[in-house]
Amino acid sequence: MALKRLGAIVAMAVAVVAGAASAQTKQIVLGYELPLSGDSAHYGEAFRNAAEIGLADFKAAGGLPGADIVIRYEDSKNDAREARNIAQMFADDKSIIGVLGDFSSTVSMAAAEIYAKSGVPQLSQTASHPDFVKISKWQFRNITTQSYEGPFNAEWMREKGHTKVAVVAIQNDWGLSAASSFADAFKAKGGAISSIEYFNPGTRDFRSILTKINRTKPDAIYLCMFYEEGASFLQQRQQLNVAAAVFGASSLYNDQLIALAGPAVDGLMLSSNFVPTNPDPKVQAFVNAYNTKYGAIPNQFAAQAYDAVGIMLTALKKTGVNATRDSLRDALAQTKDYPGITGQTTFDPETREPVKTVVRMMVSNGKFSVVP
Amino acid sequence: MLDIYFVQQIINGLSIGLVYALMAIGFTLIFGVLNVVNFAHGEVYTVGAFVGLLLITWVAPPLLVVVLAALAVGAVTGVGLERIAFKPFRRFRDEASLRSRAMREATLLSSLAASIVAREVMTLVFGAHMQTIPQAYLLQRPIAIGPLSITNGDVVIFGASLAMLAALQFMLFRTRIGLSIRAVSNSPMGARFVGIDTDRAIIATFAIGSMLGAAAGILVGLYDGTITPQMGFAPGIKAFVAMVMGGLSSIPGAVICALILGVAESVTTDFLASGWKDLVAYAFLIVTLVFFPQGIFGVGRERA
Amino acid sequence: MNAPERAGLLAPPVLKGLLAVIVFVVLPGTLLTIGGGYLFQIATTALIFVILAASLNLVTGTTGLLSLGHAGFYGIGAYTAALLSTQLGLPFLVTLPLAGLSAGIIGVLVALPTMRLVSIYFAVATLGIGEMIYVTLLNWTDFTHGPMGIRGIPSIELFGWRASSSLDEYLVVATTAVISLWALSRLTHSYYGNALRAVREDDQCANAMGLNVVRLKIEAFGISCFFAGIAGALLAHTGKFISPDQFRFSESINILAMVVVGGLGSLPGTVIGVLLLIILPEALRGAGDFRMIAVGSIMFLSILLLPKGLLGEASALDLLRRQFGEAWKSVPGSNVGWR
Repeated sequence: MALKRLGAIVAMAVAVVAGAASAQTKQIVLGYELPLSGDSAHYGEAFRNAAEIGLADFKAAGGLPGADIVIRYEDSKNDAREARNIAQMFADDKSIIGVLGDFSSTVSMAAAEIYAKSGVPQLSQTASHPDFVKISKWQFRNITTQSYEGPFNAEWMREKGHTKVAVVAIQNDWGLSAASSFADAFKAKGGAISSIEYFNPGTRDFRSILTKINRTKPDAIYLCMFYEEGASFLQQRQQLNVAAAVFGASSLYNDQLIALAGPAVDGLMLSSNFVPTNPDPKVQAFVNAYNTKYGAIPNQFAAQAYDAVGIMLTALKKTGVNATRDSLRDALAQTKDYPGITGQTTFDPETREPVKTVVRMMVSNGKFSVVP
Repeated sequence: MLDIYFVQQIINGLSIGLVYALMAIGFTLIFGVLNVVNFAHGEVYTVGAFVGLLLITWVAPPLLVVVLAALAVGAVTGVGLERIAFKPFRRFRDEASLRSRAMREATLLSSLAASIVAREVMTLVFGAHMQTIPQAYLLQRPIAIGPLSITNGDVVIFGASLAMLAALQFMLFRTRIGLSIRAVSNSPMGARFVGIDTDRAIIATFAIGSMLGAAAGILVGLYDGTITPQMGFAPGIKAFVAMVMGGLSSIPGAVICALILGVAESVTTDFLASGWKDLVAYAFLIVTLVFFPQGIFGVGRERA
Repeated sequence: MNAPERAGLLAPPVLKGLLAVIVFVVLPGTLLTIGGGYLFQIATTALIFVILAASLNLVTGTTGLLSLGHAGFYGIGAYTAALLSTQLGLPFLVTLPLAGLSAGIIGVLVALPTMRLVSIYFAVATLGIGEMIYVTLLNWTDFTHGPMGIRGIPSIELFGWRASSSLDEYLVVATTAVISLWALSRLTHSYYGNALRAVREDDQCANAMGLNVVRLKIEAFGISCFFAGIAGALLAHTGKFISPDQFRFSESINILAMVVVGGLGSLPGTVIGVLLLIILPEALRGAGDFRMIAVGSIMFLSILLLPKGLLGEASALDLLRRQFGEAWKSVPGSNVGWR
């Protein structure tokens, strides 16, 4: 693994040298700030892998004639202090005309203040904070916003006849907005929310929450959490024999969830905008490339990063070789019906929020499958 | 009428507390008895969990063998840690530095540095994501007692805590090496005067404490289903708190306080919200310390 | 300390003037010529941590109380400044001192019951308080916005002059840092500072000499928290976005590491410790995935080779002996020959 990485570094160095050697092609650099060490390193790893594939695909498809595009990765440790430093470093480097990342909203927003000031277009694959794109006209993101996904799941649960639902959400910006947008929609559709329980990031023991929820006897539980917590939660739910049905947000969608929690996941219903078994050739090409290169099935986070890189490169192609930060931003803002593997993406010209489509999924017999 | 959910909450709390207790036992030996602050204990715990996991995925032996392997690896890790992060700070053998015990306590930061390196190396090798554990080994099978529910893991961890506690008390109070550990703990200077090999006693303490830490790591990893390079940090802080509440040198005291902490967290979740449980746990710590400045079970110590 | 008067170039006033010239002219000048907003960013962060580490140094280095919850007070300062400026629209000149005051007052309130604790019991109490502050910032969503953090904090403004560029921000932070350092240095090198050192060296003896030990400790802790709050306000106004996870336990440990690597009780040492631990991770970016391993290894080597810190006044070891030492003597009377 380390060798492979060393290989990648060498390859990158060679690429840089080669780029410098051929004087005719102009080098265009995109910055990517992401966690490569610390607690969230595995997310950053997936982003980097997906971005490498995205860039290779772009070049294979003709790339941008006359320009050599390089992505420069910097480790932010998912730490706001580091992210500010990187943001300033990227902003100073005039060869960098666009930036991808960071991972969590907190860190992305700390960096965003600097990108906003220096006028660098920033496209995050995951920052979900409702205010992220409100910081300035330079911020974009490629995620399913909860204002769409929450009502989508609420509708589904009402169709299934659930009237009383408990919500369990992680205490971060994403969890807060996911829980509230779901709860509002569910109440608007005539359902009742028996309680909303927030837990601090890092919690692994949900038995107290489960016992508390069980007291109110809800029909169903809606989970706004990531797969790590989801695995613990579902196992402990089985252990405490809580009967309520379980629904979840797309963040739970990860093969690791089933690997970690096994049969306890069966029956989980969730929404997702990326399905690796999707027969769409684009999706299959990405899944195969990822699997051959890194020996794993990509998850939703990798897919979002792949699309984010794709959106950025497509905008870059539109602006051409003489792209500047301003022209790239304008091109990004005009992104319309980008045919990504996480669905079609259009940036709303006013709010720069992506508009996406999601599907219903269910776990049965240890497999995710799309519910028609 | 007795609220069945509330009883279940108490049970949940006790089982959370048992996890802290299991970790606190190994901690207390090194921190409390030997009085060395070892920030890397959490990493020993993680190493134990990873070695156990590797063994499970490669050989799939019975659980007891896994625990024994973790114990062995823990002992080796402990000795290695002592050699790298603690021994170099005991380089002076003159009376003054031994008496001040100064060198040994520089290890607060050397162990912190060692723990950063160990954690990052593990992240590099295994990745930061949660490791997949074969279902058969997970200690999560429910055991129903009427309307209440516990898991086989609760039983295993309870048994392991009892066994560790008993073994440790026996070792400390009935064997020669235990005697020398207690002697060094009381006064390393005095121990040297009466001919005790203090280095050997310290290495033994590290070996035993780390053995217990590593075994706790794999058991808790299987129980929680969470094995990551970062897993040692959060329960480590709670175990540390439990140890201090219990009064540093009292291992049974640390166990009881760990249980109190667990129940406090669980009951807080029931009455307030899960997010506030840490607040209550730490408030509990501070109230305890204000009223029992030496910890609940601490013996009256001299002020320096 | 009581070093003999040095003549010529190394005389203290000359040295101080030289340092001032470096901080206010040479460094920003150099940074401007290499055109580094990135370097300004690092320099500003480093200066904020200089205030933090210097304030922790007062408690841990000079007074000898190991505090593991300093980031909490830093957070209180940052949140006070952020809330006052975004909710009430107060200017920087008001939010800065208020941030310090609120952190200082909470520090004193916290210190009142816990200051009678000795050694590691105090350290763990501060750890608990730091975590309590974090949990409160995270969960009191109505007041602190919880995990959403606070965004759009106005930049520094003084009498109508707005610090808009990196250079302006750097200069304001540098001025605040220099004033704070000067205040802390005057404090530690006064009779009052000697009293604090007496408390560190032997609090029973200090008590017998007529010093009110508990009061001194509470005051020192309050002052230290005041400066931590100031640092927090600077972070809020320069970073413009704050959220609870910037003030966690690991940050407290970071600050402590800076103080100890630099040398407990020595202000110049603290400054060097900060520079080392802020610049090192940035300088090692080239190491890629091995970066944090390298940082840990260098930290380890510096402790191994310089156990007293780079410029320690009290050796780090002495302090830790005091923190953890007495717990050794669990048998009463066994220390008769000692003191």
